[in-house]
Amino acid sequence: MRTSEGRLVGGLVRFLLASDYRVRLEVPNMGQSVDIVATRGRWATFIEVKATDWKRALRQCRSHECVADYVCVAIGTRSVSTALLDAARGRGYGVLHCLAEEEQCMWVVKPRLNKKKWPPQRKQLGKDLKAISHER
Amino acid sequence: MSVSHWMTFGTFAEQRHFVYPTPRAYAGVVINANMVAYAPSGLASFLLEKTPSFAYLIDPQTHAFQHEPRAIRTSSGEVRSSILRLAEEYGEPITSCVEGRRRLLPTDFAARQRVEEFTARCLSFQRWKLATAMESSSVRKYLDAEEASPPPYALVAPYFYMSETTTESWLPVWQECAEVALAHADETKVFGAVVVSQGVLLARNLREMIVDSLEHLGLAGFLLWVDDLSEQTASREALLGLLHLARGLRGEGTREVINLHGGYFSILAAGVLGKSAMSGVAHGPEFGESRPVVPVGGGIPIPRYYVPRLHARVRYREALDLFRAKGWLNSAGTFHSEVCNCDECQRTLSGDPANFTLYGRAISREVRRNDRFARLEFPTTETKGRCLRHYLQRKAIEYAFASSASAVQQVEDLQVGASTLEDVLGPEGVAHLKLWPRVFE
Repeated sequence: MRTSEGRLVGGLVRFLLASDYRVRLEVPNMGQSVDIVATRGRWATFIEVKATDWKRALRQCRSHECVADYVCVAIGTRSVSTALLDAARGRGYGVLHCLAEEEQCMWVVKPRLNKKKWPPQRKQLGKDLKAISHER
Repeated sequence: MSVSHWMTFGTFAEQRHFVYPTPRAYAGVVINANMVAYAPSGLASFLLEKTPSFAYLIDPQTHAFQHEPRAIRTSSGEVRSSILRLAEEYGEPITSCVEGRRRLLPTDFAARQRVEEFTARCLSFQRWKLATAMESSSVRKYLDAEEASPPPYALVAPYFYMSETTTESWLPVWQECAEVALAHADETKVFGAVVVSQGVLLARNLREMIVDSLEHLGLAGFLLWVDDLSEQTASREALLGLLHLARGLRGEGTREVINLHGGYFSILAAGVLGKSAMSGVAHGPEFGESRPVVPVGGGIPIPRYYVPRLHARVRYREALDLFRAKGWLNSAGTFHSEVCNCDECQRTLSGDPANFTLYGRAISREVRRNDRFARLEFPTTETKGRCLRHYLQRKAIEYAFASSASAVQQVEDLQVGASTLEDVLGPEGVAHLKLWPRVFE
């Protein structure tokens, strides 16, 4: 993760912890890694964090559809691209807007429950997450 | 038309797989000379205990000293122990190159005496190193005299890697070593090894130069290795070049040609469809269907599942996406009829498609990368075992199919694979399945 993205992650972690999520960073998943997995209750939200390259984030998100309950892109641009919002809405992804300097994060689009996940793989993820420490 | 199935020895941890799914599946085992130099006793025990009915071939790896000297050294600059032992076995001019941190050059063989002495040591090493270790093995007393210290299937003359720019420099040395090897050999067969860049496959004049220079020497066969050739992504011209080179070396069936690192294309080439363009194909347990001549780091292991219709190993995640998109994980029955019904898949799924996750199970560990720790996934031992056993079962099926099915059936199998998978994988994902039949036309 690039330094600028690292700063976004710091703000995002605080935002998620304040929203009662349990937050794990750089979680490996079937040969890939997701920047943040935020869990609350039985639900796991996968978040790809990008300073600017939201197209790449969308590509990475696609591979999380197999396991995530919710899939999100967190973006650090000054304003959120309409194209990103349209693409995210079309896929059911959430969009978080993070401003590193102000250390502020907000939901721009709330994610929809992912119906494409494969329950056996999701169950496996639940077991794997228990072995990974979470942020405090 | 039987395609001989060879397996390349990688590590001692894999030795139990050489009899899987059955010992009869394999014609023999190919062992790298540096491993022989480093662990002769262990390999002797492996051959006597685990694979007593197997033929074995020692790849003399004389090309290893031609490359950038860093290629044979560890990251701290030391010569790799096994390579150092091999250099000591081979003597001059190899030892000078290793000590002087320089590449082996064609001019190192300018003197005839040097060629003769080096070739004699290289052959003697192959003939006696393991045979002697087998003779002193404690297992020997339980075996018949002929079984106790069998010679290699063939002795391989010293060989040198040839690219499109170096073939003319190395070919005369190669040829001279082979002539000396033939003069020195006793009753054991002598093979040559043609190890070339992909560029050579594309250059008809170089292929012809190689075949013209080597076909009259009287060698019983050839090992063939094209640097880092992935059959799934290779162009039509490269695959045609491979077939042309193999057929030239094969001499209308008068000589054996074993592809040291081949996949299903090579298996087909060696079978009915390719009209026996090769006599055999080797691969490693799971790895080794293509291999770069200059070794590169292994990278992080990822669970991979061999997709039978695709004739390729793909990452577990990609296999899962494919099978879900096709609905092949809807039931165990569907999976076994559409994907694979080998013993390993039957055992792993045990009637429940959810158990396909067992092919992808991994554990995460913190690993230091550059200046920080990263959390990475590593397949579990059980996962690796499952993927490997499935792969070896499919390979055994492929060799049998290429040997016995009709050419029409073999083409049809590729076409059905392409038409079934294209909607999910796209034209690129199935391009090799469409290309291969055209190459064999």
